[in-house]
Amino acid sequence: MHIEIDEISKSFGTTAALHPVSLAIPSGALVALLGPSGSGKTTLLRILGGLEFPTSGRVLFDGQDATGLSVQDRRAGFVFQSYALFRHMTVFDNIAYGLNARPRASRPTRAEIARRVTRLLDLIQLPDIGARYPSQLSGGQRQRVALARALAIEPRMLLLDEPFGALDAKVRKELRQGLRDIHDTTGLTTVFVTHDQEEAMELADLVVVMSMGRIEQIGKPQDIRARPSTPFVREFITA
Amino acid sequence: MSDVTLGKPARFRAATEESPATRWALIAVAFAGLAVLVFAPLVAVFVEALADGVAASLSSLASPDARDAIRLTLTIAAISVPLNAIFGIAAAWFITKFDFRGKAFLITLIDLPFSVSPVVAGLCIVLMFGTNSLVGGWLVANGYPIVFAMPGIILATMFVTFPFVARELIPVMIEQGRAEEEAAQTLGASGWRTFWTVTLPNIRWALLYGVLLCNARAMGEFGAVAVVSGKIRGETATMPTTIEMLYQEYLSVAAFSLAAVLALLALLTLLLKTALELRHADQLAATHRH
Amino acid sequence: MPGLGLSMGITLTMLSLVVLLPIGALLLKGANFGLAGIWDTVNRERVWSALFLSFRLSLFAALFNLVFGVLLAWVLVRYRFPGRRILDAAVDLPFALPTAVAGISLTALYAPNGAFGQLAAEIGWKIAYTQWGIFIALVFVGLPFVTRTVQPVVEEIEREVEEASATLGASRLHTIRHVILPMLTPAALTGFALSLARAVGEYGSVIFIAGNIPLVTEIAPLLIIIQLEEFNYDAAAAIGIAMLFISFAMLLVINLIQVWSRRRIGYV
Repeated sequence: MHIEIDEISKSFGTTAALHPVSLAIPSGALVALLGPSGSGKTTLLRILGGLEFPTSGRVLFDGQDATGLSVQDRRAGFVFQSYALFRHMTVFDNIAYGLNARPRASRPTRAEIARRVTRLLDLIQLPDIGARYPSQLSGGQRQRVALARALAIEPRMLLLDEPFGALDAKVRKELRQGLRDIHDTTGLTTVFVTHDQEEAMELADLVVVMSMGRIEQIGKPQDIRARPSTPFVREFITA
Repeated sequence: MSDVTLGKPARFRAATEESPATRWALIAVAFAGLAVLVFAPLVAVFVEALADGVAASLSSLASPDARDAIRLTLTIAAISVPLNAIFGIAAAWFITKFDFRGKAFLITLIDLPFSVSPVVAGLCIVLMFGTNSLVGGWLVANGYPIVFAMPGIILATMFVTFPFVARELIPVMIEQGRAEEEAAQTLGASGWRTFWTVTLPNIRWALLYGVLLCNARAMGEFGAVAVVSGKIRGETATMPTTIEMLYQEYLSVAAFSLAAVLALLALLTLLLKTALELRHADQLAATHRH
Repeated sequence: MPGLGLSMGITLTMLSLVVLLPIGALLLKGANFGLAGIWDTVNRERVWSALFLSFRLSLFAALFNLVFGVLLAWVLVRYRFPGRRILDAAVDLPFALPTAVAGISLTALYAPNGAFGQLAAEIGWKIAYTQWGIFIALVFVGLPFVTRTVQPVVEEIEREVEEASATLGASRLHTIRHVILPMLTPAALTGFALSLARAVGEYGSVIFIAGNIPLVTEIAPLLIIIQLEEFNYDAAAAIGIAMLFISFAMLLVINLIQVWSRRRIGYV
């Protein structure tokens, strides 16, 4: 799905979290929103997901104005920084949640749901943990479950907020590759937020460097590295 | 190519909010429910007290029964609350400054009075200290009656208000830890000095909070005192039992006027309680932080 | 750390003198009486009636407080509106108001000539001096428990969990039913049990509005007092032990809820 961000701005009271920014995300791309805290990257991600409403500007999905679309209708799979798993539900029920939440008319049968959940558990390489509770999982496992849960609803795009933030270095490396693999398998347009420039450069097709609510530079990782276009980018991207 | 600034469409709602209609409906139900269940009885006390005018109400408070009752209630509170406060401090010190097994069990024992019906509490004291018990019989014979006398009422009041101070102090002192007291020790301070100059200042708001609740309950206790006191006019009739007596003698204004005094005390307690929660939340038990 | 001897001494002495020994006296009396004796006393229609009445009406009152209490907790924590602080403080009034004051006040309100009693009479509904009166008094005394135990939990609900539910396509109602309410359940149940325990033993608030007709509106605590006034210490003790047993059972239930909840979802 092709995403277009058209002069989106967001102010909280008198503070401008996002100055008008524009961005075109090609269908199927893996995009990193890269920047320090306060750069507005998470705000932009949440606007894409419908969790915030922009003060001005439009968001277009495949050319259609989706700015006013409710969260429920967006079909944007969202993975939160804290994973936000439902602690009182098993892993299986967590992943099946989106499917079970559909109105009766469009809900798949229990057997079908079970099938899909099993397939997703295989995809995230954790086939045996369906009956466990989130409190019994490690950080890396929870992240993967959150990913599977978002994928279960067959989203049009995948949005991830600092997906590797709370994990240690070794786990992070494994999960990075996991995300890349899942992206390549599903072909979904994926946008993730990070402050880790090495991560952004290694994973993404397209990197959007942000600072203080503005986009500093957009480009392929190697292009940004070779030709940083502003002093900020030069400082932020170490060799 | 942007349009003129869009306002939120009238229908935008954050993912974590209900519709305005739902919200206001729930707020209305909350108000209505509390108005009927809580505010109405409170208002009724004063309406009934002032049914014959302010003068009648005030003069009923000057009657001997009322004056004796007020005096007795104040005396009982003046004795039981400090005693329970001392217990609370001692128990909190014991539990939080030392390590031993069975702490949870001890805390459960301390909390027992909360689970016991006040009437059963009074019953226990009557059985233990009444004339037909070993202990009680001996005490009465030697001129120290417990039941149907002040000591019994004080014991009964202490029973029902026993945990209040302790359970306010224990979580706070756990949270504050032992480091400051240990530091004072290394600097050569004696135990008492440490307590007065280091611990007490840290727990004073929690202590005040606990004493406040303890006092409100002590002055208002009815069931346990009704069993233990014999309700002897002028001698063992506290404010609550006097209210009962006046009410049953159809002296409505007198009963409600005395009740209004207790209601005012309750409101004052709530006021001070809220003030403490707002100003010193960091030094109160976690459940009181708003 | 100094003060072990003194603090332990005061703690254990006062605990024994004020709480443990009196309760022990009751249990001792019961032991002397024997289990059979207790059963005989309790197993009379009037006693069963009183115990069932106390328990049944307390259950209904606690259920009402469960629903209303959760609603109150939600409204107080999540919404901002004028008068919120007053509402919040009002929830504590049943804690602070002496039971006798509440008792005569509720009776004045719901008696046939009272403000609410009159309204009810118009539809032929008698409240004071019936079981309805007892029910309302028990709702009053139990009101704060559910709200106060649930409020902290509502405050700590992570917004992201609600947002996650919405991103997965769930309607707000679905989110509330399947995500939020389950998170509140342990605290709500604890509050329910506390409310129930309080109501079963309640005396002062109920005694005026109840009517006190044996087998119909006579509550268990009153029965104990009547036995005492007639010097039937054994009977009083028997009923007292029955009530103590109910209290301890409730305590156990509350603790089990907390243990179960901690193990299952990692918090209370």
